[in-house]
Amino acid sequence: MHKIAEVEIQHDIMLANKKLAKRNQKIFDKADVFTVDVLGAIGSGKTSLIENLIEKIDYKIGVIAGDVISRFDAGRFEKYNVPVVGLNTGKECHLDAHLVEHALGDLPLGDIELLFIENVGNLICPVDFDLGAHIRMVVISVSEGDDTVEKHPLIFKDADIVIINKVDIAEAVGADENKMFEDVKKLNPDAVVIKSSLKTGEGLDEIIENIKKFMNE
Amino acid sequence: MHELSMADAIVKTAVDVAEKNDAQQIIEVTIEIGGLALLNPEQLKFMVGVLSEDTLLEGAEIKVEEIPIEIKCESCNYEGPAGSDELDHYMPIVKCPECEEVSIKIIKGRECNVKNIKIEKEDEDA
Repeated sequence: MHKIAEVEIQHDIMLANKKLAKRNQKIFDKADVFTVDVLGAIGSGKTSLIENLIEKIDYKIGVIAGDVISRFDAGRFEKYNVPVVGLNTGKECHLDAHLVEHALGDLPLGDIELLFIENVGNLICPVDFDLGAHIRMVVISVSEGDDTVEKHPLIFKDADIVIINKVDIAEAVGADENKMFEDVKKLNPDAVVIKSSLKTGEGLDEIIENIKKFMNE
Repeated sequence: MHELSMADAIVKTAVDVAEKNDAQQIIEVTIEIGGLALLNPEQLKFMVGVLSEDTLLEGAEIKVEEIPIEIKCESCNYEGPAGSDELDHYMPIVKCPECEEVSIKIIKGRECNVKNIKIEKEDEDA
């Protein structure tokens, strides 16, 4: 004879990732490494921004370069002589706390004060996955269209710093960078929002200043 | 998108619990998804179905329930269901439904929870 039974599970898959993220943050804190999760769309300027920060910030920097195929971005960072770990996600569209935990084993955390984790270029999937970083920095560009904030609200709701990049070409692509700025502020009044152009250098000092401010909080 | 990795974790969780309970077959699995989790229920169901082939979960009914969004307002201390507007999908995370202030925190609605399974097992009492 067979019988039917109901088994209560209540296992939150998101919570499982959150627990791992907390564990990662403990590792960062113990090693005194301030960690920034860098998110944004493909081509928004995440890699360029990190390159600029490596050159301009006077901290010992490390990078985890996450991508579907990570060797391209990882190769760019290696030129600056900083510790870099490439994280291949393969078919996955985001990094998760478990993948980051694996990468930590390959990083000399004792030689790093500021760690950037470059997430996969995507405004949707990475949102659900906390990595254990201290802050989230979202990079968008005017060339994505000035309705990009409205279309992807959740990533901005969670952000600590939002960078609206490529403002030098806003007019050419018909985008209103001020509208993007206001849209972020409406969703997340606490976020630091900075308009920048990595080509002209606009906004870069303000970005550095704010990262340092978060580090010292 | 990331429905695949979620589906994979869901299948593993359900099968693992079923095995521990000496199930011969899983008949039904219920998954709860928060209204703000960036998961499409139909895609998730499809992926769970595909990944459950050759497991105890194969052929089970996959039920998906939505967990409503709840917010806490930092201005008026309102805590409860978020506002809704069919024409504006992000309104719930923008404004407090009570005082309309924008300083709100999301407290519920981002889950992806394997709630329970119904299993078929040998009736030892029979």
